[in-house]
Amino acid sequence: MLTPVIELRGLTKRYRSRVAVDALTVTVEPGRVTGFLGPNGSGKTTTLRCILGLTRPTEGTATVLGRPYRELPRPMRHVGALIDPRARHPGRTAHAHLLALAQSNALPRDRVDEVIDLVGLEPVAHERVRGFSLGMGQRLGIAAALLGDPDVLLLDEPVNGLDPEGIRWVRELLRALADEGRTVLVSSHLMSEMEDTADHLVVLGRGRLLADVPMADLLGAHSAVRVRSPQAPVLASALQRAGGHVELEIDGALRVEGLDCDQVGDVAFLAGVRVHELGRVTASLEAAYLELTGDDVEYRAAAL
Amino acid sequence: MPFTSVVTSEWTKLRTVRSTWWCTALYVAVVGAGGWFGAAITQSAPRADFAVGSALTGFGFGQVLVVVLGVLAVTSEFRTGMVLASLTAVPGRGRLLLAKTVVVVAWTVLLTALLCLFCWFAASRLTAVEGGVPLTDPGVLRQLGLQVACAALAGVLAVGLGTLLRSSAGAMGAAIGVMLVLPPVLLISASDQAERLARALPAFRVGDEPFFATATSWQEGLVVLGAWVVASWTLGAVLLARRDV
Repeated sequence: MLTPVIELRGLTKRYRSRVAVDALTVTVEPGRVTGFLGPNGSGKTTTLRCILGLTRPTEGTATVLGRPYRELPRPMRHVGALIDPRARHPGRTAHAHLLALAQSNALPRDRVDEVIDLVGLEPVAHERVRGFSLGMGQRLGIAAALLGDPDVLLLDEPVNGLDPEGIRWVRELLRALADEGRTVLVSSHLMSEMEDTADHLVVLGRGRLLADVPMADLLGAHSAVRVRSPQAPVLASALQRAGGHVELEIDGALRVEGLDCDQVGDVAFLAGVRVHELGRVTASLEAAYLELTGDDVEYRAAAL
Repeated sequence: MPFTSVVTSEWTKLRTVRSTWWCTALYVAVVGAGGWFGAAITQSAPRADFAVGSALTGFGFGQVLVVVLGVLAVTSEFRTGMVLASLTAVPGRGRLLLAKTVVVVAWTVLLTALLCLFCWFAASRLTAVEGGVPLTDPGVLRQLGLQVACAALAGVLAVGLGTLLRSSAGAMGAAIGVMLVLPPVLLISASDQAERLARALPAFRVGDEPFFATATSWQEGLVVLGAWVVASWTLGAVLLARRDV
């Protein structure tokens, strides 16, 4: 049993007329990357801000390592956060920004240069942040999150503005941090980013919890077996008798839900049906996500 | 975490933005030039503390720069979003504000004390006083000490208003309004009500004299300024602790 690291219990944040987060109860476990997903405006950032004590919940609690964030001594040693790429003074150099943060938590001064090297900002460490590109800014934010070598990482849209190389770097970094047993919660509104990174998903829609499932389950729930046979009608009825739900695809293949590949192969063999193609089709996370959040998108473009 | 860590961090923040050094340079220039000029046009004075008072004239306008420094130390955090990083690193909001205040006050006191010594030097060189202008004269020390105290309090008032209003323009306007603009305006209007109101404003002071404001004793002036400082800073701290960022 893993120790719960981030616990949200009935977390609710209401602004005057709008419910940003609605009775959210979630536990985020260590040792894996938890993807925090939801359309724009679904309450991801508000939730992260509540966890960090930047925003006060209307109801409910958010605890990190068993206590409210504000009660953590030297919080950067426990929790690293990338909350907003603008969270810095543009007139300060990257080095000065990180130094001030490190000093506030009595972290060793050497750590500043270490994280600058780690995120690859050495060439611009002593330049003012004003001139940084979005990607450099994200790297600086990640450097700040890693300063205290924390056990818990909260990253809000960390790959926003990064180039493909940067995106891969963040993925590998998150993977490595989770493999070291740390807790990694990373938000995004882009599913494709999460597909290769996250082990577990927490999905929000309009502030409500839509799913809290292992990635494999979400994909599994939306996957099927594809089988192609010159004797499709015979195979289809055999599969139905075996308990499968069968649909005919456009190219004449069958899409089978409720049976796995082995079972479909066995059914075909027993029915004496020739099979030309047999395989598992995994729904893309994108499709699974759209199905899940379809009714809960706050901002939607009108149909053209 | 130790409070000294937070103070060190705030000092790093203050010294690594250019606005701090602009304010510092202008403060030194305005007060230094005003001091030399004030002493130069005061050919003689009956007492040492009068001579020093003339040399402190530059502080009248110079303290505006302390206000700008104090306001920016806070509002730049809100304007840029830095406050998110600051409060994530130091979630104790009262501690963060206190550390920021300590740093602003320490820097203001250091600068003001050095400038006071310069003004005293100018008075002792340029203004003729029977018996000279010894630094150890109690009247001289009182003038200089009050100047340091008033500038430091102006800095804290600026930090408090900045925290309260979270806007550079709003906080500077409010601070300069009550300290520099309204006092002379009320002085001119010369009604009893205006005078009562004027005495309740935290006018800038030059040594033991209010600057372009209704005359009050330095004791009364310090009490009024102190009350404004306590009220704005406390209210700022309470709101900072309660509001979301």
